[in-house]
Amino acid sequence: MKAVGARLPRYDGIAHVTGRTQYVDDVRVHGTLWCKALRSPHHSARIVSIDTAKARAMPGVHAIVTHQDVPHNVYGHLEALGVPADEPLLAAEDVRWKGQPIAAVAAESEAAAQAAVEAIEVTFEEREPILDVRTAADPDAPEHFHQWGAIYPHFGPHNHRRVRKGDVEAAFDAADLIVEGVYRPQAIEHAPMETQVSLVVPEPSGRLTIYSCTQAMYFSMGVVAAHLQWPLNKLKFVGGTVGGGFGGKVDTATETICALLAIQAQRPVKWRFTREEEFLTSSTRAPWHIEVRDAVSSDGWILGRRMLTLHDAGAYARFSPYGLTKHAFHHTGAYTIPNLRFDGFVLFTNRVPTTAMRGFGVTSVSLAVELHMSRVADQLGMDPLELRLKNANRIGDTTGNRVVMHDPSTVPVTLAAADAAGYELGEAYRAMTPDRRSGDLLPEHLVAQQAPDGEHLATYRATNGGGR
Amino acid sequence: MRLTVNGTEHQVVAPALTTLLHVLREELFVTSPKAGCQQGGCGACTVLVDGQPRRSCLLPVGAVEGAQVTTVEGLGAPDDLSGVQAAFHEHYAAQCGFCTSGFVMATQALVERGDGDIEREEVIEALGGHLCRCTGYVKIVDAVTAAVRGDTSPQDASADTDPQGDDAVTLLPGSPA
Repeated sequence: MKAVGARLPRYDGIAHVTGRTQYVDDVRVHGTLWCKALRSPHHSARIVSIDTAKARAMPGVHAIVTHQDVPHNVYGHLEALGVPADEPLLAAEDVRWKGQPIAAVAAESEAAAQAAVEAIEVTFEEREPILDVRTAADPDAPEHFHQWGAIYPHFGPHNHRRVRKGDVEAAFDAADLIVEGVYRPQAIEHAPMETQVSLVVPEPSGRLTIYSCTQAMYFSMGVVAAHLQWPLNKLKFVGGTVGGGFGGKVDTATETICALLAIQAQRPVKWRFTREEEFLTSSTRAPWHIEVRDAVSSDGWILGRRMLTLHDAGAYARFSPYGLTKHAFHHTGAYTIPNLRFDGFVLFTNRVPTTAMRGFGVTSVSLAVELHMSRVADQLGMDPLELRLKNANRIGDTTGNRVVMHDPSTVPVTLAAADAAGYELGEAYRAMTPDRRSGDLLPEHLVAQQAPDGEHLATYRATNGGGR
Repeated sequence: MRLTVNGTEHQVVAPALTTLLHVLREELFVTSPKAGCQQGGCGACTVLVDGQPRRSCLLPVGAVEGAQVTTVEGLGAPDDLSGVQAAFHEHYAAQCGFCTSGFVMATQALVERGDGDIEREEVIEALGGHLCRCTGYVKIVDAVTAAVRGDTSPQDASADTDPQGDDAVTLLPGSPA
C-alpha cells in the first residue's frame, strides 16, 4: 500500500511532456501505403453492383478489397458469449447506415487512395431509413432489413432484458401518487483527440504486425483473427498508447481492413480517420428512450417502479445487449425500490452502430433516474435531497437483481455533497448513516426486500477472500 | 526552401501549399505536433514560428520560408526538462498526452511573453481553442499558471487536496480552458 496517498510520477509523464510518446500515427515504416474507404452515401440501400475495375487501374493503387475478399465477412462482437453474428466487415448485399464501409483502397498516398475510392462504381437502390429509436418498432415503421427485424432477440428466452421483483401491481394500487417521466439522452461522439488509426505491416515470417490504437488489445486481435480466419499466433499487436478513447476504441474500426489490404499488397498499410470521418462514421454513445413511472407514497417513499427502455443499437448489435444489461442493473439508481418491472429493448435503426462510452449503459439510466427523483420530489413538494436520503440504499438492502448491499455509499456521499454545497438539510436527514434499516426507516413495504441480518457480511467475506 | 526546426536547418522540397504540419511529421519526422482535427480547431498541432504560437495544420509551408520553428522536441530532454515541461509533469497535466505538445508550446509562448504574475483567468483566455478531450483542464491550468509564474519546484503531496488554490476559477461547462 506504499502507493496510496503517495505522489508518484506517471510512468508515461516524461514521454508526454517531451513529445516522445509514440502514438500509432507517429510510427514510420518504410514503404507504407495509405488506406481510404468507400462508404455508403445512404442510410439504407440495396447494393445492386460494385465495380472496382477503373479504380484498380489508377496510378499508385496497390490493393482494393470488397466483401468478396474477406474470408469471414460477417462477425458479431458478442460471438464469444453465444450471440450470433450480424455485422459484415464490408457491406455485401446492402448498406444500413450512412458511412458504412463498402470497399477500401491501399495506395501510395492518401490523395491517390481517395482518387481511387471515388473511381469505384456502386449502384444503389435507396430504401426508406429508420432513424428514431422511439418509432423503430412501430407497426407503420419502414421495412426492417436486419436479419432479426426491429428488435434484438437474444436475451436468453426473451427478446428483451427484464427485471422483475416484488409485486409491482400492488405497489401501484397502494400509491398516493404516480409520477411519470420520459427521458431521451442523445447520441454522443467520443471525439478523442487521436482519430481511429492503425498500421499493419506484413512480416517476412508471414505474420502481421499490427500497430493499433485499440483500447482492447486481445479483443481486437480476436476480431482480426476471426475475419481473416487466421490463428492468433500469426498476429502481433502493438498498442497500449491511446490518444483518448473513452469507449470509442473498443470496437475494431480499422485494423481488419488494413490487414486485408496489407496481405493483398504485401506492403505496410496505414489508415487514419480524418476528423470528419471520425464524427460521421465512428461509433457513438447510443441515443436512448426511457420511460419511468413511479408509485409514490405521500410521505416520500418510492413503493414501485415501472420502466421501459429503448436502446438504439444503430444498424448492428455490436455490444448493445451488454450495455442494455448494465443499464437494467442500475435502473433503480442508488435507491432501494422493492417492487420493480423493467423492460429494456435493443432496437435496430439506420444510424451508425453505437457502442461503449464512459459508464456504458449506465450514464443514460443515471440521468433518467436522477431527473426523475427530482421530478418526484417536486410533485410531492419534498426537498429533493431529503427524498434521495430517505430512499437511499442501506446495508442489507437488495437491488433489483438481488445483490445484497454491504457498503452502499448513497447516504455519506449525498451528505458530503450537501455539505460541500452548503445545502440545508433537516436534522433527521443530517444524522443519517448507511447502517441497516430500522425504526422509521424500515416501513412495512421495505421489510421483505431486506436480506437477513448479517448476510451482507457473509456476501462480503465470500467475495473478498474471507474479509481480510 | 529553407526551414529551421529546433535549431537544425533543413532544405524542404514540398509544394508551397503543403501544410507545415505535414512537412514536420511526414518529411522531417518531427512527430510531436499532432494531427487532431487538421482544421485549426483543436490546437494539438501548435508550434512556435519565430516565437509565435501557430497552428501548423493551417500554415502553408511556403508562408514560413526561412522561419525558425520550435516544437516540443526543441525545448528540453527527458533528463533535462524545460520549465514548462517540468510544470506539466509536476502537475500531472497530461492524461492521454495527445494534446500535450500543443498546450506545452502555447504555454512556452506565454512564458516568453514574460507576464510573470499571470492570473488563472488570463491563462484560460490565452489557451482558449486548445482542446483536451480527457478534460484535464484544471491540472493544465495549474501547470500553465505555475510555469508562467516560474514556479516549477516539486509539489508536495498535500498540495493535491486543493490543487486549484485560493484563486480557483470555476470552469463552466461548454467553455473549456
